[in-house]
Amino acid sequence: MSHKAAKIGLTSLVLTLAFGGLLYSTLGESAQYYKHVDEVMVQPDAWYGKPLQIHGFAKNVSRKRDSLEYRFEMESNGQIVRASYTGIVPDTFKNDSEVVLTGTLGPDGFHATGMTAKCPSKYEPKGVTSTGTN
Amino acid sequence: MASLGFYLLLTAFVVSAYALAASVAGARRRSARLTESGIGAFYLVAAVMSVASSIIVYAFVAGDYSIKYVQRYSDSVQPLFYKITSYWGGLDGSIMFWVFLLSLFGSAAVYINRERHRELIPYVVAVISVVQMFFLFLMVIHNNPFETYLTENPADGAGLNPLLQNFYMVIHPPTMYTGFVGLTIPYAFGMAALITGYLDDSWLRAVRRWTMISWLFLSVGLGLGMLWAYEELGWGGYWGWDPVENAGLLPWFTATAFLHSVRVQESRGMLRVWNVTLVILTFFLTIFGTFMTRSGVVQSVHAFGEDPELARMFTIFMVSILVFSFGFVIYRLPLLRARNELDSWVSREAAFLANNWILLFSAFFVLFATMFPTISEAVTGERLTVGPPFFNKWMLPVGLMLLLLTGVGPLLAWRKSTVSNLRDQFLIPVVVALAISGMFVALGFRIWTSGVCFALCGFVMGTIGQEFWRGARVRQGATGTDILTALIGLVARNKRRYGGYIVHVGIVLIFLGFAGEGFKQDEQVLLKPGQQAEVGDIVVRLDAVRVTDDGQKQMITAHTTVFRDGEELAKMYPAKWFFRKHEGEPTTEVAIRRSITEDIYLVLPAFNLEEQSASMEIVINPLVNWVWLGFGILAIGTGIALLPDTVFAFAVARIPAHAVTTSLLLLSLLLWPAAVIAQSAQNVPVKERSQLERRLESEIMCTCGCKSPMGSCPMRPNCSHYDQQEVRLKAHLAEGKDYDAVKASFIQEFGGQAVLAAPIDQGFNRLAWLFPYLAAAAALIGIVVSARRWSRQAAPASTADDGVDPALNARLDDELRDLD
Repeated sequence: MSHKAAKIGLTSLVLTLAFGGLLYSTLGESAQYYKHVDEVMVQPDAWYGKPLQIHGFAKNVSRKRDSLEYRFEMESNGQIVRASYTGIVPDTFKNDSEVVLTGTLGPDGFHATGMTAKCPSKYEPKGVTSTGTN
Repeated sequence: MASLGFYLLLTAFVVSAYALAASVAGARRRSARLTESGIGAFYLVAAVMSVASSIIVYAFVAGDYSIKYVQRYSDSVQPLFYKITSYWGGLDGSIMFWVFLLSLFGSAAVYINRERHRELIPYVVAVISVVQMFFLFLMVIHNNPFETYLTENPADGAGLNPLLQNFYMVIHPPTMYTGFVGLTIPYAFGMAALITGYLDDSWLRAVRRWTMISWLFLSVGLGLGMLWAYEELGWGGYWGWDPVENAGLLPWFTATAFLHSVRVQESRGMLRVWNVTLVILTFFLTIFGTFMTRSGVVQSVHAFGEDPELARMFTIFMVSILVFSFGFVIYRLPLLRARNELDSWVSREAAFLANNWILLFSAFFVLFATMFPTISEAVTGERLTVGPPFFNKWMLPVGLMLLLLTGVGPLLAWRKSTVSNLRDQFLIPVVVALAISGMFVALGFRIWTSGVCFALCGFVMGTIGQEFWRGARVRQGATGTDILTALIGLVARNKRRYGGYIVHVGIVLIFLGFAGEGFKQDEQVLLKPGQQAEVGDIVVRLDAVRVTDDGQKQMITAHTTVFRDGEELAKMYPAKWFFRKHEGEPTTEVAIRRSITEDIYLVLPAFNLEEQSASMEIVINPLVNWVWLGFGILAIGTGIALLPDTVFAFAVARIPAHAVTTSLLLLSLLLWPAAVIAQSAQNVPVKERSQLERRLESEIMCTCGCKSPMGSCPMRPNCSHYDQQEVRLKAHLAEGKDYDAVKASFIQEFGGQAVLAAPIDQGFNRLAWLFPYLAAAAALIGIVVSARRWSRQAAPASTADDGVDPALNARLDDELRDLD
């Protein structure tokens, strides 16, 4: 009986360690920091090149003619960062809409590779929806 | 009205408390009267909740906007159908709907099992009452759906979000809720067994069917959610690993594991602790999923409100569940000892065990990754997130392993498989798998995960086909009938097993669809009229961007033509709709051209009317329709497994205890087509807002080049083209033609639909909507036909069995048992 218990214990230990190790290593490549604009802009150069998701409100949205290149600013709590994105934007993306950008920060602004806009939900009516606290 | 509703909720809480007290006291004192009174109170809760539900539905229909909840989620112009379904449209109402369903399910489960599992019932009542009390408490204290405005009553409601005014969003949440709520029943029986110590397998028999029904609803709910995302959200995919989606997937994993490991306990008396654990975990995950999506603990693109107080109450409840449940498991460990040990790793029970591990690992992995931002913030103070690529990286191999086991499991014998046994069983499926992978290598497919997936699909189909074929041959040899009858007889004799195989066929088809994802092509382009874009082997040309209005909404439609190899394949019309009152939230109307090999999926995410340009997303989704087909087959298979043992009761309409299950199943099948009717009612413009002519003017283009419908041609009144069109229109109307006939004449005169502002809703698109419902209808027909067939056969077969050859019957039984 104790022999069996030891076998089971050892097997689960090995499996747990193996999965834990794999999880840890893959997590390192895939994890992104999730920050609000004001948190990042306190010390922007610390974030250059890191995989990042930033959360804020879009301002001054403009699009280059005949292209899908967007330039805009992201704002939260008074801090602003310039941002660019090429591609199709969500319906709800416009001035003052709440968006989360995925990409990297550089000296010339945030280069977004992905964009999600807060999606209207069935569960809370407009106006009451998340105020963007962390 | 509102206060009556609120008092009913209070009453339900008090009555639940009484049901809890009376049944526990009754069980402890062995007083049948007390227990009976507890059960009576339990039924009463269902009655009270039904009345409370009718009140809120009445408030929606009558438009009582003094009730906050009604005001927020409906308005007066909403069609009746959406007014009713707004009941579960928001948080407060969805909790109430939850309790309502739970009280109904609980009552049905107690009623059905009150004789057979007499000793368990008081505690089943007690456990379900506690769950009801928690949700009722939430409503009374925190989320009262009957809350009213204290001062001024608004004249009209805010209206439901247009994205959600959609047939799938009507049917998907209640389907999910039904699945979630149904999983409380197995938990209640499991806990009752633990509390009373009646831990033989009888509680499992009581809950098997409930778990299967809940599982069916959960699966169908997930499928509908995917279909909604695919058709309505317009991002080209159907699963994005969003926390809200994951919340539905978590209990699905553990419920699937439970459905498998139950077989091991029944056949071999093993895994008893494991099964109780799975039931507890599944229930816990349903509550956890609700908590996760409602309390704002995980940030999702779905902006669920954040509610720390709700989060706190849920946390207390969840911790209590875990402590209470696992406390009893530990207390009862001596009674849960396995009756057998694992003999060999090459046995069916080992395959089941591996399947369970993988499913449980999937649940924990998804839970971990979903909660990762919250966990990392708690541990390191930094909020780290992981995206879909991380999920895919892990779930892809895990899914493939599961698929492999789906094929391997049924090939192995219970206890221990011998070498000759293995060779005999594996030869054909492995050959099929090798043939398929060889074919893919020869054809030069490069994506290896998809290739492996295809090969495994072939392997699993090979094993399932072999199982059916061999079983049918044995039965044919024994009964001397034709192979088809033998096949049906085989399925009827062991519905759970062969129904299960059919579910596996569904899973294989779903995986086939997933494998197609590897060949997906996706292109974002900006087009002006006349310009074209090439994606894969198709070319999309933008013909025009047009604006129309039907009174309820403004529609921007891109008219495109799709070519393959220079030949016109289809005209497609992706659009964007701006609903009145919701102009800020346009809905994206995807154009999908479906076929069995691939979908062409066009989205119009943005447009510029001055430039006449449209940004377009062009997606080619190979094999995606197999996913929906797979869900349909899965539903059929579960339906077969769920058929009552006395199948002919189903056809002869005796009313046995099974009738409830059967009618639930029937109801679920009937609900789909009913909802489809509602959908088409929504798509046909509901009200004739103006006279026929005005309507036609808004839908027939002016030909002067203004790119507007006649009714809004900017060149009027000096537009000669408009005048010509008007003459034509008047002439048609003078001939007494109706709406469709006039449109048809215009199409004929101008040689195409370009003259129409918006294309006629195409038959093919409609058909696509109908697809899952056709599958469901086919399931229904299949069930009825086979039930009739079996019931007809049952009578002569039994006389033959009695009179002719008992030895033959015994042999058949033996052989079938060997197969098992």
